[in-house]
Amino acid sequence: MSGPRGSVQGQTIYGLFAIAVVALAATVKTDGYVANILMQASTYAIAVFGLSIVLGLCGQINLAQAAFFALGAYSVGLGTADYHLPFWPCLAAGVVIAVAAGAGLGVSTLRLGGHYLAMVTISFQQILTVVLINAIGFSHGPDGVSSIGRPALFASGQAFLALAVATLAACGYFVWRLPDTRLGRAMRAVRDNELAASAAGVDVFRTKVIAFALCAGLGGLGGGLFAGGFSYVSPDQFAFSDSIVLLTMALLGGVGSPAGSVIGTGLLILIPEWLRFLKSVPGLYLAIYGLAVILIVIFMPDGIWGFLGRAFRRRPRGAVGSAGPLVLRPADSGSPVALEVRGLAKYFGGLKAVDGVDFQVRRGGVHALIGPNGSGKTTTLNVVTGLYRANAGAIFVDGVEVTALPAHRRTIAGLARTFQNIRLFRSMTALENVVIGAERDGNALVRTSPDALRLRARAALDFVGLGARANDSIPSFSYGHQRLIEIARALAANPTVLLLDEPAAGLNSSEKKALHDLLDRIAVQGLTILIIDHDMTLIAGVARHLTVLNFGKRIADGVTADVLRQPDVVTAYLGAS
Amino acid sequence: MALLEIIELSVNYGEIEALRGVSFSIEAGAVVALLGANGAGKSTTLRAVSGLVAPRSGSILLDGKPIAGLGPRAIVKLGVAHVPEGRRVFPGLTVRENIMLGASNSNASSSAIRRDADAMFSLFPDLRPFADALGWTLSGGQQQMVAVARGLMAKPRLLLLDEPSLGLAPVIMQGVFRIIAEINKRGTTVLLVEQNAHMALKVADWGYVLETGRLASGGDPATLWSDERIRDAYLGGAQSKAPT
Amino acid sequence: MDFFLQLLFTGVGIGAVYALVALGFVLIFRATSVVNFAQGEFSMVAAYLMVVFAVDLGWPYWLAFLIAIAGMALLGAVFNLFVYYPLRNRTYLPVLISTIGASIFLSNTVLALYGPQPQVLPGWLDTPGFQIGPVYLDSQYLIVIAVTLALVAFQYWLFEHTLLGKKLQATSQDKEMAALLGIPVAAMIMITFVYSAVLGGVAGILVAPILFVSIQMGSTIALKAFAATIIGGFGDVAGAILGGFSIGIIETFGAAYISVPFKDAFAFLVLILFLILRPQGVFGERVAEKA
Repeated sequence: MSGPRGSVQGQTIYGLFAIAVVALAATVKTDGYVANILMQASTYAIAVFGLSIVLGLCGQINLAQAAFFALGAYSVGLGTADYHLPFWPCLAAGVVIAVAAGAGLGVSTLRLGGHYLAMVTISFQQILTVVLINAIGFSHGPDGVSSIGRPALFASGQAFLALAVATLAACGYFVWRLPDTRLGRAMRAVRDNELAASAAGVDVFRTKVIAFALCAGLGGLGGGLFAGGFSYVSPDQFAFSDSIVLLTMALLGGVGSPAGSVIGTGLLILIPEWLRFLKSVPGLYLAIYGLAVILIVIFMPDGIWGFLGRAFRRRPRGAVGSAGPLVLRPADSGSPVALEVRGLAKYFGGLKAVDGVDFQVRRGGVHALIGPNGSGKTTTLNVVTGLYRANAGAIFVDGVEVTALPAHRRTIAGLARTFQNIRLFRSMTALENVVIGAERDGNALVRTSPDALRLRARAALDFVGLGARANDSIPSFSYGHQRLIEIARALAANPTVLLLDEPAAGLNSSEKKALHDLLDRIAVQGLTILIIDHDMTLIAGVARHLTVLNFGKRIADGVTADVLRQPDVVTAYLGAS
Repeated sequence: MALLEIIELSVNYGEIEALRGVSFSIEAGAVVALLGANGAGKSTTLRAVSGLVAPRSGSILLDGKPIAGLGPRAIVKLGVAHVPEGRRVFPGLTVRENIMLGASNSNASSSAIRRDADAMFSLFPDLRPFADALGWTLSGGQQQMVAVARGLMAKPRLLLLDEPSLGLAPVIMQGVFRIIAEINKRGTTVLLVEQNAHMALKVADWGYVLETGRLASGGDPATLWSDERIRDAYLGGAQSKAPT
Repeated sequence: MDFFLQLLFTGVGIGAVYALVALGFVLIFRATSVVNFAQGEFSMVAAYLMVVFAVDLGWPYWLAFLIAIAGMALLGAVFNLFVYYPLRNRTYLPVLISTIGASIFLSNTVLALYGPQPQVLPGWLDTPGFQIGPVYLDSQYLIVIAVTLALVAFQYWLFEHTLLGKKLQATSQDKEMAALLGIPVAAMIMITFVYSAVLGGVAGILVAPILFVSIQMGSTIALKAFAATIIGGFGDVAGAILGGFSIGIIETFGAAYISVPFKDAFAFLVLILFLILRPQGVFGERVAEKA
């Protein structure tokens, strides 16, 4: 799918630019000093690309990038100098080791996020530094490793620099195109809203592990080239402060793009060279770094490139043509019951939020779950969709039990939902949001062609009436329209059951009428809908069947008109002595 | 003279219009119930009065003085206490400590505050055995009583109660409403937001009904209860029999 | 056995320092949900202030101590205003990165002003220590343990027996509700930062005669104190104290029985294991989860 970055025009320009730069690096003679600067900038920039993936794209903190850089550097260093192995296998080994270490750290995200994750990465960095300094027999300790080899083809300084620049250009291309791939979209979804990503079918854990692995791999690659370029490495080049330097480069340029990484790296290598007097006073240089980090975070959170990007706001290219009607072909095992809940229970400490609830949602209709505040309806929905683990009971989607599945696997099994507090991916366009819904695993309706995703997303947006604004970004839509985009995202996944959590909340009366019409149109296509809401006019209008909860228990279930007349239902809402 | 006057109050949460031009007033010494379905704007009204949100337009007068847009600290000083939805008892502090913090706005000595807190136990005798229990260990009903006692420590002229019956078993709820009546008897004006319309109207002198951010009706409890509009506000246009 | 007791004493002593810094972490975290990565630098700056006033200028120890503490209070206030407050409504990531920036800034500013040579700060007492039976009690370690116990007792008194302490706790448990009761939330946060900076400062001054006063001392202490809070459970003051002593003991025994240079790595390994296996710490969540 071509997003704003990927037009043929853009790629050609990139390619030509890359070739030009590599050619320059290979031919223009530079003296040792300038060559060193360029060498350092190129290899560091590759590592910073890694940070732009894990932090910029996926929103996870990694304070150990210098450690991954070191893994690559020492693999090449020790491999060529001590074991006399050729350069290329050592480089490859370095990248593999770094990737494995990165994936290992990524696994810790299963349980941890935020500052705990930061701590794990810092600890890893510190452990590696300690090992490099103290395992003298293996790593040469503080003396470092010298006489590091280079590949025969790129033995000269000039040629190796060209190699580094070429690698930089190749990695840059990869990082540039990544956001528009399925993996890239998954990462951005995880960054923007993990819960919604999971509900849309993204395997959040696996995405984070891959992000860490890629980041570490790029770090290792940069480090390996660094070792070959300078022929000497020592532990003090890969300490925690160097991880901070790399992080600052990423933040300064802007974590959102490879251009930002290159700018940030370039500036933070060149500026200190111009201001060489800064290095004469030990600590002054890094003190300014520290201050720069604080100022950048406060005043320029998107970095230089992000700041420029906002100044020259481009309309995203890649207009999506009209796509025809939205096809909804929900899975149908033949059973009349699309969703069944049996004996469901969820406790929070001593509070029985859901206390033995049963109901069945008939295929092809609208079924409402209602009850006063605190009755357990939203908790029930959250347990059904996998946000919470049930304490007891079972959930069946189209006859298949899903009780033990994580949220994203339930989406694959045929559930799709919207949220009471709208959970869209705010940094993306409407189309991209809906595409993420469409590309959930197992969606048979998008296998036909590479454009199928985009077309299906456009069709879903047309269905809710927003097709013309497919390329607009989320903050530009009104609240009511954002609701519709969420519904489109759910529909694009071709679910068996659509679960709507208070879709009418915050809508004015004309928006509610439009919602009513939309729900009718969805129901006509044979899709099963389970809706929670407080607006009884809407509920009475769309829902054929009702289940009423109070204090976590089911107090009524049946045809809407009958249920609303039952005295205990009226009592539950209005109270009675 | 009205203790509290709300004039053409409009409040937005981002784009959502939570209240649109609501006007009503509360006489000193009354218990007024604010009713309506979820999302009608009842809690928003209280939050605007206590200063947690600033209104987009309109005014709020306390004793004739405008208070809209002043922060919560200033408004507490003027004699308005807000017991928010969900009770929000400080989980790591004891019952007594929670109650004592209700007087955070006063300059009294901590021993005077402690005495006042102990006096609260006469109004809430069921709490006395739990005086040193941590907030998170209490049941919903107990937490509700702590929250109300805490609100009363500010010696408010106007007490804002948001959904005190939420999540409480009926018999506990009745205890809470008895206390509300008692508080009112001792001179505090009460603005009560409730989803349990029946209990609220039993204790209230007057009631207003909100529907999607607008005032739908107002009147004395008997009139409101027999008016179809209450049922409509809660159960939509659907048919329902009056409770026997 | 004698060796064991000696190690235990040393472990408890150094653990007391970690416990103090850990207290500072926990206080700031409970009030703001932010982990302050510059907490260790508070210790380092205070130690350097002592060196400047007590050693370089030769002023009396107690005077230098008061100046250093006053300086730390000021630093805590400035830190709150410039590093935390502008970001108080953003997510954890910018704040975390900002405190890391502050950490780098503080340690390197001191480096630029003072130079890289580690300094020596004399101990508080003239007698170097006492021999009791098989164990030699270094006097500085005794002071560390005594002061830590005194500060823990003070903190206990502040939090459990004063209204201010209750207001601080209320602010850290539910900011909005605290504001609704008329508690001045911004002032409570400021007090928290000032107090945490002073705690960190005292820890630094106490430990300075034992280790050298160096630029790196802050981050080393802080990372171990962080490990202490992880082990104890991040929300819990008692946990931080227990964790501090545990880390001190583990590290001391690790250095003696395994190897000195790798003892730091060992501490970090324990930290990672705890993070992965039991991130909520020994004491777990102090408060039951609400629906």
